[in-house]
Amino acid sequence: MEILRVEGLSKIFGSGHLEVRALEDINLSVSEGDLVAVLGPSGSGKTTLLLCISLIQDPTGGTIIFDRQTIFQKNGWAGVDMRRIRREKIGFIFQSHNLIPFLTARQNVLLPLSLVGTKGEKAEGRVRDLLEYMEIADRADHLPAILSGGEQQRVAIARALANKAKLILADEPTASLDTARGTRVMGLLKKIAKESRSAVIVVTHDVRMIEGFDHIYQLKDGRIIGEKANSAHDQ
Amino acid sequence: MDLAIYDLKLHRGRFIATIVGVGLLFTIVLAMNGLYRGNINEGLALIKATNPDLWVVERYRGGPFNEQSTLPESYHYSVKAIPGVERASPFIYYTVERRIRDKSRHFSIIGFDVFGGLGGPQKIYAGRNIEQAHYEMVAHPKLGLRVGDSVPLGLHTYTVVGLTKEAVSSDGEALVYVSLPDAQELLYQRDNEEVRNQRERLLRTLAGQSFLSTVQAEKLLNALQPDTHLINAVLVRLSPGASRSDAALAVGKWLYLSAFSTEEELQLMLKGRLASMTKQLLLFRTLLLIISVVIVSLVVYTFTMEKIRSIAVMKLIGAPNGVIIRMVLEQSLLLTIAAFLFGMLIIQNTYRLFPRTILLIPGDDLMTFMIAVAGGILASVLGLWQALKTEPAMALGA
Repeated sequence: MEILRVEGLSKIFGSGHLEVRALEDINLSVSEGDLVAVLGPSGSGKTTLLLCISLIQDPTGGTIIFDRQTIFQKNGWAGVDMRRIRREKIGFIFQSHNLIPFLTARQNVLLPLSLVGTKGEKAEGRVRDLLEYMEIADRADHLPAILSGGEQQRVAIARALANKAKLILADEPTASLDTARGTRVMGLLKKIAKESRSAVIVVTHDVRMIEGFDHIYQLKDGRIIGEKANSAHDQ
Repeated sequence: MDLAIYDLKLHRGRFIATIVGVGLLFTIVLAMNGLYRGNINEGLALIKATNPDLWVVERYRGGPFNEQSTLPESYHYSVKAIPGVERASPFIYYTVERRIRDKSRHFSIIGFDVFGGLGGPQKIYAGRNIEQAHYEMVAHPKLGLRVGDSVPLGLHTYTVVGLTKEAVSSDGEALVYVSLPDAQELLYQRDNEEVRNQRERLLRTLAGQSFLSTVQAEKLLNALQPDTHLINAVLVRLSPGASRSDAALAVGKWLYLSAFSTEEELQLMLKGRLASMTKQLLLFRTLLLIISVVIVSLVVYTFTMEKIRSIAVMKLIGAPNGVIIRMVLEQSLLLTIAAFLFGMLIIQNTYRLFPRTILLIPGDDLMTFMIAVAGGILASVLGLWQALKTEPAMALGA
């Protein structure tokens, strides 16, 4: 089932001679269980694309259809509660982990659950399962400051998965990790896409980390200049 | 999930330091509340305790407490003759500094007609009232005296026959009740050398008058000695059913004196001597409350700025504004309330150590608490404004 469809998406900053076309005619489609990579160098528009499909930044044109609902078209956002969509249907993984520093690993994973009103043993059980799944249950009561970079990223992934998001957006998730830890995190994302049937979009500039991805979109100067589908995963 | 508490736990050192700092400011605010109440209470205590129907004082003077008033002692006979007046008693009140038990003590003396006159102590908790015309006193325990103690004052030694604490002077000093003649003697008593010098000066002045012979001058000398039979007020008790306003009007019309009810006398004090102190304390309290709010505001702002990225992350993962507002507001209120409670704890355990009476009234504490809470909400505005304008894109480094 298709989770996200982007058609003719564009984003222009400024106007006149100061106009910058950050995105132009972007088309992509992501289905559940898909593992998608958006590749591109710095300044290619990766983060702008991520912000647009995170429902944070207003595109200038185009259409965004999320979970079979048109949420953006040429007239603007279609009157949807974007924060609600983000907290219920989208999980985020960041380059710098972005864990809440005053919450323990367990509490960081609990946060999105509490935002959607899941409480008590149901929430605690879900957190326990996720931390075990990420193999960091023994670090549950530690603050982020005393976790290693890899552990922090696994907590961040657990947080992104907490609400069984339909779409997981990962912004350079391996950029602050060494190769071994980066490979392990990418392995986890592949596992998540396969097992939880969430669609995962990874924005990265590191071509070494995208082996085995279903779709790879190559971005340059705000345009998709290449698209590669892995047929083994397309069935 | 209480985000504010988790954040404060991580910064508990700074949180506690702020509570102590702001709490001490609240201690001063609460002490000033108590000082204000104590000031009013002490300033009015003697008037309330004496409580005659009328205070008759020198014309156009707001005496005897708010302003100096001097009357010849004999005027109380004239006041007694006013229709509706049942009793009229002379009353004298002044402040002195004398050595008691080898310590210099500042206190006020009240002289009254000890044989059934008004103005004496009403509630004596130890000993008895004054029963002799001379050399007995009723004192306030602030002077550290006990019943039976002998106290040299002026030319004589007085015996403490009773203790009362129902009133203090308007400055909060101890009161000493003595008979009217004793009070007058203590007030006007002069050194013998000074008496002789004054007689010599007067005699020289009289001798210089060409129309007086030496014999006539010496005869006049005694008649021209300063009058010490002076009082500050006449206290009036009206006959049952007599009109207070009619009696006051008659006093003004026929005796050229002013007459005030006890309520008017209280108002004279409140609008006069006590007013500037009251305004001063109000100003200080206002300033301290503003300082407290500014400090809490800055601390909350700093707390908020430190977690601005976390706030961006929370917004990005879909946290409603309510969650963020609650977090900032709760921290501000927790700081304010905890500081207030700390201030309360300190003042409740130290108010007896203050030299002036600190009268703590629950209503005042409640009012200050409500103002503090309102200030706490106000203090969070800056932090809230910063938190709410934070873009979720900041979490992605955009």
